[in-house]
Amino acid sequence: MTESESTPHAAVRLQGITKRFPGVVANHDIDLTVVSGTVHALCGENGAGKSTLMKILYGMQKPDEGTIEVEGRQVAFHSPSDAIAVGIGMVHQHFKLADNFTVLENVILGSEPGSAFGLDLDAARRRILEISDRYGLDVDPDPVVAELGVGDRQRVEILKALYRGARILILDEPTAVLVPQEVDELFAALNELKAEGLTVVFISHKLDEVRKIADAITVIRRGTTVATVDPREVTTRQLAELMVGSELPSPQTTSSTVTDRPVLTVENLTVTDADGRALIDDVSFTIHAGEVLGIAGVEGNGQAELVDAIMGIRASTGRVLLESDDISNESTRHRREAGVAFIPEDRIRQGLLLEAPLWENRVLGHQTTEPNSKGGLIDRRHARADTQRIVADYDVRTPSIDVTASALSGGNQQKLIVGREMSGQPRLLLAAHPTRGVDVGAQAAIWDHLRHARAQGLAVLLISADLDELIGLSDSLRVILRGRLVAQADPATVTPEDLGSAMTGAGARAEGAA
Amino acid sequence: MRRVTSLFAVMAAASMALAACGGGSSDSTSTASSGGASSAAAGGGEKIKVGLAYDIGGRGDKSFNDSAAAGLDKAKADLGVEFKELSATQGETDADKEARLKLLAQGGYNPVIAVGFLYGGSMKKVAAAFPNTQFAIVDSVVEGAPNVTGLTFAEHEGSYLVGVAAALKSKSGNVGYIGGCLIPLLQKFEAGFVAGAKSVKADIKIQVKYLSNPPDCKGFNDPASGTETANGMYDAGADVIFAAAGGSGTGVFQSAKAKTKLAIGVDSDQYESAAADLKPVVMTSMLKRVDVAVFEYIKAAQAGSPLTGVQVFDLKKDGVGYSASGGQVDDIKAQLEDAKGKIVAGSVKVPDKP
Amino acid sequence: MSRFDPRRAGMALVAPAMAFVVAVALSSVVLVVAGHAPMTAFRSMFDFGVQPDNVVNIVNKASGYYLSALAVAIGFRMNLFNIGVDGQYRLAAMCAAVIGAAVALPGPLHILLIVVVAVIVGAIWAGIAGYLKVYRGVSEVISTIMLNYIGTALAAWMLTPAVFATLENNIVKTPDLPESGWFPGFATSGGEVYGFVVVSALVGVGYWFLLGRTRFGFDLRATGMSEPAAVASGVDVKKMVVASMLLSGGVAGLVGLPILLGASHSYGQDFPAGIGFTGIAIALLGRNHPIGIAFASVLWGFLDVSNQILDLEGIPKEIVTIMQGTIVLAVVVAYEVVRRWRVNSEQRRVAAQLGGPQAPAAPGPATTAGVA
Repeated sequence: MTESESTPHAAVRLQGITKRFPGVVANHDIDLTVVSGTVHALCGENGAGKSTLMKILYGMQKPDEGTIEVEGRQVAFHSPSDAIAVGIGMVHQHFKLADNFTVLENVILGSEPGSAFGLDLDAARRRILEISDRYGLDVDPDPVVAELGVGDRQRVEILKALYRGARILILDEPTAVLVPQEVDELFAALNELKAEGLTVVFISHKLDEVRKIADAITVIRRGTTVATVDPREVTTRQLAELMVGSELPSPQTTSSTVTDRPVLTVENLTVTDADGRALIDDVSFTIHAGEVLGIAGVEGNGQAELVDAIMGIRASTGRVLLESDDISNESTRHRREAGVAFIPEDRIRQGLLLEAPLWENRVLGHQTTEPNSKGGLIDRRHARADTQRIVADYDVRTPSIDVTASALSGGNQQKLIVGREMSGQPRLLLAAHPTRGVDVGAQAAIWDHLRHARAQGLAVLLISADLDELIGLSDSLRVILRGRLVAQADPATVTPEDLGSAMTGAGARAEGAA
Repeated sequence: MRRVTSLFAVMAAASMALAACGGGSSDSTSTASSGGASSAAAGGGEKIKVGLAYDIGGRGDKSFNDSAAAGLDKAKADLGVEFKELSATQGETDADKEARLKLLAQGGYNPVIAVGFLYGGSMKKVAAAFPNTQFAIVDSVVEGAPNVTGLTFAEHEGSYLVGVAAALKSKSGNVGYIGGCLIPLLQKFEAGFVAGAKSVKADIKIQVKYLSNPPDCKGFNDPASGTETANGMYDAGADVIFAAAGGSGTGVFQSAKAKTKLAIGVDSDQYESAAADLKPVVMTSMLKRVDVAVFEYIKAAQAGSPLTGVQVFDLKKDGVGYSASGGQVDDIKAQLEDAKGKIVAGSVKVPDKP
Repeated sequence: MSRFDPRRAGMALVAPAMAFVVAVALSSVVLVVAGHAPMTAFRSMFDFGVQPDNVVNIVNKASGYYLSALAVAIGFRMNLFNIGVDGQYRLAAMCAAVIGAAVALPGPLHILLIVVVAVIVGAIWAGIAGYLKVYRGVSEVISTIMLNYIGTALAAWMLTPAVFATLENNIVKTPDLPESGWFPGFATSGGEVYGFVVVSALVGVGYWFLLGRTRFGFDLRATGMSEPAAVASGVDVKKMVVASMLLSGGVAGLVGLPILLGASHSYGQDFPAGIGFTGIAIALLGRNHPIGIAFASVLWGFLDVSNQILDLEGIPKEIVTIMQGTIVLAVVVAYEVVRRWRVNSEQRRVAAQLGGPQAPAAPGPATTAGVA
């Protein structure tokens, strides 16, 4: 917020950046000043516009309005190569490395050294080792990338950017894929870079981490920058409130509705990938009618696989019982008909038919049940009427149920999915990030719907990256780490901080493995 | 979906473009010549308008259709007739052929000549609808249609002669026959060739291959597969191959050149039409004088006494034969003429089925 | 689909119209370069195409094209590419002709038997590709292309006189069907319209109903739009692949029947080949929609029939092939352009109607919603 501090040292200065996409304004009036030689964090909810902003800064998208200055000079990027030319480097959340190339080959790919006729590999190797030493990156140029771990790959990406002369590094959600030790190593490397005078823009929504590493934090909400704060002067909760723009709605459930009637019993569930490695490793738990079981964990620790296995989308071993019926070998359709509802993590991929109208999306997943079908036919009249009901009850903002799902904003798409899945009185709901990308009002409404259904006896498996949501809604909590349920916690007493450390495997407080 | 759809469209369009290229060259020549047709009117006699419908490939196929075209050109030059020529497209139905013949008949072309036995069915219908028009069909016979003349050939007799030539010229005692498509007409060639070769050397080895199967007779226009098949035969010991495969013959000639062996052309004198570097390998050609048949038919029609019924153009009528351009068969001419004489005299009966 | 929306219908027509105009323009250029007057060429094509006997020929041709395009479209709707329609219909027609000629049954039963045989053979041939895809992971694009070759060879073998065929004037063909197996046509001043045209139309109605109204159709379309979403919704994709290949092949089996039952009454070496590939182009042009495909089939039939007149007038008739190729290419481009434009305009329309939060800082009012 303090413009006076933005002295000539500014490495990057964005002013009045606005970017419109059809129907939405992804960024508007963004002002951001990143001081040279600092780690500057950019925080915001999913869908707040962080990624768009970074794409603009890296030349992947052109702003409709506003100016970009890099080290005092105004620039206009037409492509990432323009950004690279002025010393900006980017490490994407999903690495862009060729698996079957060596580190050396990956680093020089696209900026091959030497004459037009021969590669000067020795010179390249020397430079890689030099950069690696200088910034303490500990990168060996010779192994094939496929053999490297996630943290190593990330450092290769950083080195690759530095190799191309980056002075300003953008890291997009760099810790999302890392285990705690790796996060520490990354932070050590970032401090090293900072000490050498480089500037780091760090995108994250993990507030604790942000407070740990950043020298300044800019919060972005609904496409615009709302504040720049000093990490030493704010609490995580204050940051979170800045992010959502109001007092955090409390997801607290009032009283327990847990019964002793088991709805979902999972026994020794194991999912392996094509190479035989366990993605879900011998997991067992029970959810009772009226109970919300929350699963906490860093993304990518098996949550998606767990849900897919219970839905029957992914092959698994072990037993899955719905009340007393063993549904382990049943098809997805049978499980759905038996009363399992599913809010997928990736709504675009698994939850919607983007090119189909809303009412057909209401039918999706419930093709065989009323009101959507009768006999082998789709009951268009009733399906449409029920879609109208969902649109009204769940406040889906749309001019009609005949527009395609792609025309809706992400939050409205999510509300439609939640409404759909809560229809037909399910017995069990698998909810992965049910309020992701949804505005605060809708979030509260979805919570209300969940609580209401829970009171009616619905069993819920809740997966969420929002720890407040998890703690507030759940009757019991489990922590998932590398495919195993490693700890459990009582939502009545646990704090987000405790849960966070348990998620990273550092939790000494964990009450023993499940 | 969209991505692959586009891919698809490109494939579809590309295949069509190829088809267009394939047919394009021949058509440009046909247009040019038909344009000139109306201007010329030489010689005496009553001027008649001849309509001619080609088989797939049309004028410019350096083979069967071209042979018909040559007869037509000769009729124009010698008799001063006017003509109009239309060609067929790949994958067409009988109804399309019918429409083509009808178009000619309606346009006042009389006689109307169709090249190729595939016109049989459609010609029968159209001939019935235009009883005052004379029709002729090359390579087929249409029964129960008094105004249709069948112009057929004794291909087996011509093939017999080149079979004799092949056996006489072969040093390895191993010769080959490549047919464009496994259809009865082509088997007639095979039968004659085999009989001719065996008449010289009873234990001669004869390799027989066909390039394609009906209904997809692409082997008449697939030089690459001609080369491949010929390579195989030459490698297996053959030193003379009779290529009865229309446009694919060029491929056989190329193989012969690469392996320094000999080949025999078909339908027209392919020594004349082959590229200069291929001429030396074209030992002789089995001539099927479609040009003679077409010309004779037109001539009779103009004279007012059209040929009717089934006309068989055999060795006796010079409807089939062998070519001697290039001089490669000069040394065995005596034997060939002897064989020819025997057939004409009837002392040798050539089989027409293998 | 249920409510008629003039905007949508309008937009659906824009793309093919654009493609047609581009194709006409491009072929005009080619004609001019070749020294011919385009208008004369197009006019004579039109005049020729509307003569009664040619109209009959167009309709008869279109009936086969229509079935072929429907067979392709069934696959398209679920992202499957049945390139093997060509082999499927030829093999089916061959088998149907052989069996049809071998039996004698009262009229309707005889025809029914022939139709059933054709459907089963087509379905089996396509089903092989479906099976290979599901259980062996073979791309149906590859396997159907390969099955075309195998089918051609198989039909060729069956078509040798030693097996099922007879020889008539140098043409090998199966024995003629007895008259009880002929599908009665409609006599018109321009000749006989195949009775099978009615069957084609009914298949079109069935296609529309199956895809638009049934659960099976919903599952099929959902799989085509997003396989992960379909899987999550409970669709057994493997089963759907096999089912839709069988269905596509069954319809493909019908492709040769208008000609077989209505005109040739036998399968011979002059039986038209290539209708399966024509179907791909027509399905693209008709946007997999039963009505769109019907128009596209007639257009294709018109172009195929009326090109003959060009030959007579000394204009290279290959111009028609150029037109057809251009239409297919242009229509794909045009559909994509229109699709993007539609998505954008819909998003803008939704945003504009809702106003407020979705477009907080848009400088001007969202006037774009009124476009089109």
